[in-house]
Amino acid sequence: MRRLFYLVREAWANMRINRTTTIVAVLTTAFTLACVGIFLLLYVNLRNAAGSLQEDVKVMVYLEDRLPKEKAQELDRKLKLDRMVDEVVFISKEQALGEFRVQFPSESHLLEGLGENPLPASFVVTLAPNFRSPDAMKGWVERVQTMEGVAKVDYNQEWLSLLAELIGYIELAAIGVGILLSAAAVTIIGNTIRLALLARREEIEILRSIGATRMFIRIPYFLEGAVLGACGSALSLGILKFAFELFRQQIQLTGRFSGIEGMISFFPLSVCLALVMMGMGLGFAGSVVSLLRVGEGRA
Amino acid sequence: MDAIIQLIHVSKWHDRKAALSDVTLEIEKGEFVLLMGSSGAGKSTLLRMLIGEEQPDEGQIFVHGRNVTKLRSAEIPHLRRKVGAVFQDFRLLPKKSVFDNVALPLIVQGVSEKDIRRKVTEALRAVDVDHKKDQLPNSLSTGEQQRVCIARAIVNGPVVLLADEPTGNLDPERTREIIELFKLINARGTTVIVATHDSHVVSHANRRVITLVQGVLLSERRVGQGIGV
Repeated sequence: MRRLFYLVREAWANMRINRTTTIVAVLTTAFTLACVGIFLLLYVNLRNAAGSLQEDVKVMVYLEDRLPKEKAQELDRKLKLDRMVDEVVFISKEQALGEFRVQFPSESHLLEGLGENPLPASFVVTLAPNFRSPDAMKGWVERVQTMEGVAKVDYNQEWLSLLAELIGYIELAAIGVGILLSAAAVTIIGNTIRLALLARREEIEILRSIGATRMFIRIPYFLEGAVLGACGSALSLGILKFAFELFRQQIQLTGRFSGIEGMISFFPLSVCLALVMMGMGLGFAGSVVSLLRVGEGRA
Repeated sequence: MDAIIQLIHVSKWHDRKAALSDVTLEIEKGEFVLLMGSSGAGKSTLLRMLIGEEQPDEGQIFVHGRNVTKLRSAEIPHLRRKVGAVFQDFRLLPKKSVFDNVALPLIVQGVSEKDIRRKVTEALRAVDVDHKKDQLPNSLSTGEQQRVCIARAIVNGPVVLLADEPTGNLDPERTREIIELFKLINARGTTVIVATHDSHVVSHANRRVITLVQGVLLSERRVGQGIGV
């Protein structure tokens, strides 16, 4: 017990002795990790947004004009049997015209001049959740397009592909920036530990001479690194949360992008905890790097 | 009697200069040995080798039955727990109390709280500084600091106690006291080896004397008996 108490007290003493260095290390780590956090937050929110948009994506399968009823029924049956399809709703020519009139009441007179109803009958298809990725959708549309009686298949393909592409880029940027800035955090904490090691070189020598094992000498520095990393990470989450709330408030005040407001969210608690653990891991890695480079003295 | 320390044809070079040259000697369990020699004679090198701080370039060293030259680095701390060391510069932690300094070897070994209290109190009593246990080392006199250093070296009951110029910073009166303390520790069964260049120590100790000159074992005698090598 006294041994554990001693090791924790030594780690605390290290941080207290090098107070300024410790504070600077925590702040720098916090801002570094906050930069990673911004990308991560953007990525998570865009993915969520894309996910909910894809939920709403419906594919319009327009039928050829004057397609016999039997053919339309056969097509309906085929679509309903398709394992990629979740729901099929038939919209007749009359229903389409009715909907047009409801949605565009001021333009409805345009159709009246044409005499015959020019709007085609269609199936509104919702794909099963597992097949809503842009690639799966594209494949399905290409297949349905060739079916007999189908005039045209329509969905917001370009828009969804663009969104998927953008998410891909942000993911890459998040990984790149994450690796780069995590390395920076490791270096910052590593240097702090290095200073602590140099400041306590004599003490380390004394510990060695009285029979302390390498691990016993190292543990306080491992603890120090982990604590610095965890504090830096927790502070970075605080900074991010503050900035996030400020952004949300601005949206509310200005009234612009009011649709976005409900779609964006901060990291859930489990992710916050995981990020603090990650910070702890980075701090620990900083200590390991420092101890490997400087060593805690020779046996 | 059993040899607790054995050096067999040990040589060590520092920058192409022999720090120790073909030294062979045996020290029996329970002996009190004075290692004499001027500065640079190889006394400190020899002591450092006994606790695995340096390795010989040639020869073998046995301490308490273990070949020190063949120990893995992970085994060296365990050797140091059996061999207490006292230094001229005391090497005490300035921000820790006398009690905490002496307790350190026991904390390192994971000894229980109760045993730490008992053993540290005993060790401090043995060197007569138990009344200063709560003070910081820098508030003590040099003689007291050396006593604290000795208490730290004996607190876990080592089989051998090494002292490298332990009286180098002390006046003749304190020197005599420290040597008497070493004799007392030796009388309790611990093998004591004191490296010194101070002839006063030899006259106070009146024990086996090994003399080193430029890394060579020059003579071995018992004070007052004149046994040469």
